[in-house]
Amino acid sequence: MATESPNGAPDLDKLSGELYRNWEKAMTSWWDQVLESPAFLGAMGQNLSAQAQARSTYERSVDDTMEKLHLPTRKDLVRVARIATLLEERLLAQEDLLLAMKDRLEEAERHAMQARVEAAEARLELRETLAALRAEVAALRGEPKAGEPKADAPDTKAATRRPGKA
Amino acid sequence: MLERTVATARFLAGHPVANARTGRTPHTVIHRDRRARLLFFAPAEAKHAPVFVCMPLINTWTIFDLLPGRSVIEALVGAGVPVYLMDWGRPGPEDADVTFSDLADTVLRRVIDRALRHAAVRQMDAIGYCVGGTFLAVHLARHTDTVRRVAFLATPIDFRASGRLARWADPATFPLDTVVDSLGNFPADLMKTSFAWLRPMGNSAKWVSLWERVEDPAYREVWAAMEQWNTDPVDFPGEAYREYVRRCYFDNALVNGGWMLAGTPVDLKKATIPALVLAAADDHIVPEAAAFALERAWGGPVTTKTLKGGHVGVCIGKALPTALLEWIRA
Repeated sequence: MATESPNGAPDLDKLSGELYRNWEKAMTSWWDQVLESPAFLGAMGQNLSAQAQARSTYERSVDDTMEKLHLPTRKDLVRVARIATLLEERLLAQEDLLLAMKDRLEEAERHAMQARVEAAEARLELRETLAALRAEVAALRGEPKAGEPKADAPDTKAATRRPGKA
Repeated sequence: MLERTVATARFLAGHPVANARTGRTPHTVIHRDRRARLLFFAPAEAKHAPVFVCMPLINTWTIFDLLPGRSVIEALVGAGVPVYLMDWGRPGPEDADVTFSDLADTVLRRVIDRALRHAAVRQMDAIGYCVGGTFLAVHLARHTDTVRRVAFLATPIDFRASGRLARWADPATFPLDTVVDSLGNFPADLMKTSFAWLRPMGNSAKWVSLWERVEDPAYREVWAAMEQWNTDPVDFPGEAYREYVRRCYFDNALVNGGWMLAGTPVDLKKATIPALVLAAADDHIVPEAAAFALERAWGGPVTTKTLKGGHVGVCIGKALPTALLEWIRA
C-alpha cells in the first residue's frame, strides 16, 4: 500500500496528503456547482448590491456627523483632491501644448536649415557655372585661364629684376 | 509533520510577506500623469530597440519584477533592452469619475509620447499584460502611429470566453450601476475576493503548498513575494470600471463591435500593426480562447503562442522572457 512505511506502519505524511487531495477534489467539485448556479449568483448579486448601498449610507451618515461637528467631511477632502487633480490635468495639457510647440519649432528650424543649405548649394552651383562660363569666354577671346600668365604679356617680375641685378 | 508545522509557523512569525522586497531592478521615474508613472529601466548597454510595457491597472506592476531571477524586466534589461513600464498607480476617491477614455486615450497616449521622447524614437514595440493589454489594444486601435509591433500577454479580448468571470459578470445578476454609484471606485478588496473565489480551493492549496515546501528557502522567498503581490490589489476608477464591464463583459464589444468611446468607435480592425498573442496554458482568468480571439478582431497579422504556467505564474517563469526576447530580436 502506498500509504504504508517500509516497516508496515501507516505513513502519516502520505496519508494526510492523500486525504487532503481527496477532500480538495470533492470540495472543488461542490464549489464548482455552487459558484455557477443561477440561484447562488442571484443571491450574491443582491448581497453585493445591499452591501454597496449600506456602505454608501454609512459614509453619508459619517459625513453628516462630521458636518454637524464643523469638521471637514470625506466629500470635502475628495472635492479638494479633485481640484488638485484637475489642476494637474491642466498642467499636463499645457505641457502637451508646449511639447507640440517645441516639435513645430524644431520642425520649422529643420525646414529653415534645409532651405538655407539648399540656397547655399544653389549659389555655389551658380558660382561654378559662372566660373565655367567665364573660362569659356576667356578661351574664346584667347585669354589665359584664371591664374595662368597671358601668353603675350611681358614677364614683369623678370623685367623688374633685371635692372637691379645689372 | 510536526517539524514542518513548526517551521511554517516560525517562517510566518517573521512577517515574510510584509518584508518581501519586490521590484528591485533599478529604475527611474521619468514622467507622472495623474496617478500613473512611467518607469525607465536602463540596460548597461542598449543592444535592442526600446519597449513599452503596459501593466494592468488592478494590481501593482511588481509582478513583472518580482524577485531577482524571476523577473521579466530584469531578463529584458539584462539582454540589453531599454524598458519603459507604465504603472497606473493607485486611484483615490477623487478619481472615481475618471473615464475609460481618460485612461486609454489621454493618459496612455501621453505616457507613450513621453517614452518615445525619452528614447528619441518615433515608434517603439509595446507589450500589454492582462487588462493592461486590453487598454493597450483599445488605444492602438484609436492611435495608430506610435507603436511598431505589439505583444499581448494573457489579454482578454473575447470576454464571453473568460470562463467563470464571464458567467459572474452577467447583467442579470451583477449590480454594476449600484456598485459604482454607491462605492465610487470598484474596491480592490472586492476585486481580490472575486479573484480568490474563481478558484475557491486555491487559498487552502496555497497554505498546504507552503507547509509542504517550507524547508526550501527559494520557495519560501517566492511564496512570500507572490503573497505580497496577491494581497495588494488596486482600486479600479469607478466610471472607467462601469464602461469596462458594460462594454467588454456585458456587450463583448471588442469582438461584437458597436462600442462608441468618447464619440468615436472602438474597432480593433483599425489597428494594422503585427501582434503577438501569448496565452498561459493553465490560465483560469483569461483562457486561451479569450486571448486568441484577437486573431479575429485585430486588423494586422496575428501570431499566437501558448506558454507554460497560469495567469500570474507565467510572469515569474523562464518561458515568458524567452518568448519576449525572441519576439524583440525578430
